[in-house]
Amino acid sequence: MSMDVIVEAIAFVLQWQNLAALAGGTLYGIIIGVLPGLGPSAGMALAIPLVMSWHPGTALIFMGALYKSSNYGGSLTAILVNTPGDASNAATILDGYPMCQNGRGGVALGLSATSALVGGTIGMICLMYAAPFLAEFALEFGPAEYFLTAILALSLIAAVVQGATVKGLIAAALGLLLSTVGFDVIAGNLRYTFDWAPLEDGIPLIQALVGLFAVTQALVLAESAASISRIAKLSGGFLEGVITYFRHPAIMIRASAVGLFVGILPGVGQSSAGLLAWADAKRVSKHPEEFGNGAPAGVVASETATNACMPGDLVCTIALGIPGSVGAAVFLGVMIIFGIVPGPLVFSEQSQVIYSLFVALFLASAFVFIVGITAARHLAVVTLLPNNIIVPLILVVSLLGSFAIRNVMADVMISLAFGALGYVMLKRGFTPIPLLLGLVLGEMVETNYHRALLISGGSYSVFYSSFICKILILLTILSLVGPYLGPFWKTLTQGEK
Amino acid sequence: MKEKLKSGEVLFKLALFFVFSCFYIGAMSYPLDSRQFPQLLSSIGLILTLIALAIDFIRKQVLEGEIGDVDDTELRVMDAETKRARRRRFYQAWAIILGATGIGFLGGFLFSTIFLLFGFGLLFGHRDHWVKNTIVAAALTVLVYFVFGSIMGVPLMDGVLW
Repeated sequence: MSMDVIVEAIAFVLQWQNLAALAGGTLYGIIIGVLPGLGPSAGMALAIPLVMSWHPGTALIFMGALYKSSNYGGSLTAILVNTPGDASNAATILDGYPMCQNGRGGVALGLSATSALVGGTIGMICLMYAAPFLAEFALEFGPAEYFLTAILALSLIAAVVQGATVKGLIAAALGLLLSTVGFDVIAGNLRYTFDWAPLEDGIPLIQALVGLFAVTQALVLAESAASISRIAKLSGGFLEGVITYFRHPAIMIRASAVGLFVGILPGVGQSSAGLLAWADAKRVSKHPEEFGNGAPAGVVASETATNACMPGDLVCTIALGIPGSVGAAVFLGVMIIFGIVPGPLVFSEQSQVIYSLFVALFLASAFVFIVGITAARHLAVVTLLPNNIIVPLILVVSLLGSFAIRNVMADVMISLAFGALGYVMLKRGFTPIPLLLGLVLGEMVETNYHRALLISGGSYSVFYSSFICKILILLTILSLVGPYLGPFWKTLTQGEK
Repeated sequence: MKEKLKSGEVLFKLALFFVFSCFYIGAMSYPLDSRQFPQLLSSIGLILTLIALAIDFIRKQVLEGEIGDVDDTELRVMDAETKRARRRRFYQAWAIILGATGIGFLGGFLFSTIFLLFGFGLLFGHRDHWVKNTIVAAALTVLVYFVFGSIMGVPLMDGVLW
């Protein structure tokens, strides 16, 4: 990592339009995070039409800031109204909301904002140093290794996110299958287009993404009559929270380590990081009985881990093209939309854009802190907007995003079709996330599958001949049988007790 | 209680089975290189769906044995009312969305926007607040036109009628 690249990246980020994108992305991310159900994935989908015509670097700065700050927005509602903005804030509720009930809501908000600053900064420092090393390692990868890595990511996401491996794998298979629609990447034949021109280039990623997240979410909200939530009383000092945070240095370091480690594992998201760090802090605490009743250390642990997890998520996404979480999967899609193909070469071919993103994420942590000090508590008011305003607004912005890319109403229909599919999947116990990942990784999987067979002269031994391949196959098998091994092991060791 | 048997989920899996079969059969007419990957995926999808259906079948038998004699009539009546209300809102939402899409085809996306905002405001909003809802819808329409139409240059008035 040369200093010139870093200096260039800093100079790029400090241009007024990029600083504006950073501030806008941060504010927008917090608002998205505040709205329960609208996580970073839906937020990024909604923002795509706005940034489509921007410079890729500026657009990624906006999206990166959005992704980073939505977690903080989610913690606001977790603390104030006992409703996490996203699954990643689930652990914050455990102590954040009791703190608010005890009249220490302001302190909890201070803890949360400082966690965003400290956890995010520690995570970003590690990301900046780890990502190039990982990219160098990825140069050892051939088509077979890439194919197997993508399969590993799909199986991990399917097993972990869904919670029911078979259903997750079905969704992933459907996503991969849908990615075969349009021109065949190998032979150039048209597949499954039914002579409908809008499908010739394949299923458009943005339209599918908008449908699966934004339209589906709007439909879920439409079913409910009330507004998203009611705001709770806020009291207590924000600054007191900042000071309290630094009284827990050991928890801060432990939670950052947990967050980073969990972030690097594909498929294990921020929600796991927060809960793991919270459980770890409780385990080592001298007063474990305080946890769950408004212990500041609980908020410090969960929020620091969640914020450190996000850069870890991005490591695999950028260096390998394999997303570490759901939000990272959408971020991967956004990168591809802007012509930035993740992988080991991205650090040399798109160095300015990537390092600008890193610098921007550093600054985003500081922006989140500033917004936290000044305006955050007022932003929670958006949760009071009634559904008859929020739902059409989500639909208008998201469908307009679909429409604006090619200016054809057929794209709106594609988004609506994916919205309906996402809704049915949710109602029938499937999550659309593995489907989206299948759709995003489909072309890479098929291309590398054919390339590997071409290299080996049609022999399937190419998929298990190298050491890396064997490790990847082993990890894939472990990810698939792992969820069943836990209960089996428990039964084996504890019997019927 | 018997909701746990999830017949809707089974139906969805059967639909998925049909979709995977269609993908498999549809690929048969393509050249070898083009059909290999989709057929492989369809086969995997078919096998997984069959496994999921088999799991459902086994679970159904276990659950029927466990809850067969539980009287849950009262619970079901309450649940049915909530469900009916949610379903009605869901159908209304789809009616507005499809109506807006149709209008968009005819007159351009701006008319879709108007239809969506006013439709949701009138059907989903409180009757006493219709003036407020109308004003909000009008203001948002103007905002959308200004931001996307004027600033970003999206052709919001392009429809088949003009």
